[in-house]
Amino acid sequence: MVCNTPLSFLGGVDTSTGEILDPECGSRGLAVQGRVLCFPHGKGSTVGSYAIYQLKLNRKAPAAIVNTVAEPIVATGAIMSEIPMIDGVDTSLIENGDNVFVDADSGTIELDGVLERHVVTCILRHKGDVLLLQRSNEVGSYRGRWAGVSGYIEEGESDLAAARREASEEVGLRLTKPSARTTPQSFRSGDTVWVVHPFLFDVPSRRISIDWEHDEHKWVNPTELRKYNTVPGLEAVVKGLLDGLIR
Amino acid sequence: MKGEEGTARMKAMELLVALGDIYGAERLIEIESAQVSGASFKTIGDAGIRWLEDFATEGRVSVPAMVNPLGMDLTRWRSMGVSSQFYEKQMRIAQAYGAMGLLPVYSCTPYLAGHRPRDGQHLAWAESSATVFANSVLGARTNREGGPSALAAAILGKTAEYGLHLDESRKPKVLVRLESVPTHLIPVAGYLVGKAVGNRIPHIDGLNMIADQHKSFGAAIAATGAVSMYTFRRKGDRIPPKSRSFEETIVLGKTELMRCAEGLRGGDDWDLVAIGCPHCSPRELRSMASVLKGRKPLKNTDVWFCTSRRVFKTCPEAVAILRRFGRVLCDTCMVVAPIEEMYGRTATDSGKAAAYLPSLGRQKTSYRPTRELLEAISR
Repeated sequence: MVCNTPLSFLGGVDTSTGEILDPECGSRGLAVQGRVLCFPHGKGSTVGSYAIYQLKLNRKAPAAIVNTVAEPIVATGAIMSEIPMIDGVDTSLIENGDNVFVDADSGTIELDGVLERHVVTCILRHKGDVLLLQRSNEVGSYRGRWAGVSGYIEEGESDLAAARREASEEVGLRLTKPSARTTPQSFRSGDTVWVVHPFLFDVPSRRISIDWEHDEHKWVNPTELRKYNTVPGLEAVVKGLLDGLIR
Repeated sequence: MKGEEGTARMKAMELLVALGDIYGAERLIEIESAQVSGASFKTIGDAGIRWLEDFATEGRVSVPAMVNPLGMDLTRWRSMGVSSQFYEKQMRIAQAYGAMGLLPVYSCTPYLAGHRPRDGQHLAWAESSATVFANSVLGARTNREGGPSALAAAILGKTAEYGLHLDESRKPKVLVRLESVPTHLIPVAGYLVGKAVGNRIPHIDGLNMIADQHKSFGAAIAATGAVSMYTFRRKGDRIPPKSRSFEETIVLGKTELMRCAEGLRGGDDWDLVAIGCPHCSPRELRSMASVLKGRKPLKNTDVWFCTSRRVFKTCPEAVAILRRFGRVLCDTCMVVAPIEEMYGRTATDSGKAAAYLPSLGRQKTSYRPTRELLEAISR
């Protein structure tokens, strides 16, 4: 069970039924009993630790707690109640109804039937405009959507090597040093968690040759990205790379 | 740590390590004493009783440890209006703490009730007004612990080293200049400062306070702000603080203070006058007694003077005078007692109680300086 907003156990959960009361969190009315309860972090009064213990006494406690960031109220309550708890997991990647295996000793979770796939996205820039490619009908995903140069990172390959290989294959360019890169960004789509490794390359000209993976290309101003039907998260990736440069 | 040392110790260690991880502590350090909150049945409920009783089957404290106020006076609970159901639940909590070896000091002022920490000592105290007094006035070092973590620290004699245990976290970030604060509005000044500083340690300029005034000022800061320490100019500090060494300078003048006091004033009809948050010191009991000595009680409202049992015993003459005007209660206070079952409108001289009584005690609350309250209950 997933709550998308910070959760207070004092007032946010009914300790006698285990039902979520918090209208903000997207799982209102569902019972936490026996579930892996995932939410970004706790909030509210320190008496919330005792509310978690009350859930345990009433046999309505969650089977485990997964947080993005641990804070003292929930951590204290989980230890008092002997509920396995781990943090450091981006709970926005988990969806209601997922089967989640929690290994609290190693601090990891596994999502049953959900694959994690690492891909690179290279944003090519020339005089302030960035290159968008429209994905062809031959590719396996997001046909017809606009994207950067992108592709899977292969087994044993570094992300930078994958970025260079994809640029060579998709647009016929030999790239050297990236102008910027940011930490990988993850997002969930169906049964896949995409882990995108973003790179920014400045290129000396707009001359490129696209392969079978794309039908069209355009150089566009970054502020106009939202006019295009892009692959998910592209705007955030570009913004992250450009903001990183300014810093 | 292996299980043979006892599951209570193991759980205590698990708690301290988990909290240490959250706050980035590198190690555990030894503490001189602990003070545990979560003692009133009103605040921790049935879950609290069960947890404490479960913990008490094995847990034993290894350093001097005291407890926050209970929901009632242990001897005069019936006359203060506490129900026998509440009494029974409250006694289970006190007994669980007793079984673990905590001292029967149920007070928010442990530093007046037998344990006065010294400069530089590390503590694990939970009561917000006591931690702010220990850090700011006594120079001891403690974070504002949660109830369970303070108990865990009491059992192990250690706490995680983070926050106010470390020099770099004890530096003031905001300069607060207070201008012409009349003595009777010091609790209101604390109430305002807490709201203004949030979680940043303030340096207080322009206010000379004696220990009892620090007690009520700090309690109010910790009630409206998320901060457990302030600094102020001490005797011998030559250099006046400069604005540029702080992130921000906040100036609070008499106008802001009067406006805040006016906002806290509330109505003039009360069922209860409650004094002693934090618990009264011997000096406070004696000074109230000397004001009331030549006067007669009006008996127009109930009156509580709250203090620790230790202070109560050291001031029999003052207590005898105050008792003509109301109840002198020990082990409890207006913030954690089930006041909502007895009263609806309470007047208090405490900035901290003024912050908590409207929500926690469901009271229509009126703030008045001590002197005004004493005059209102006598003639």
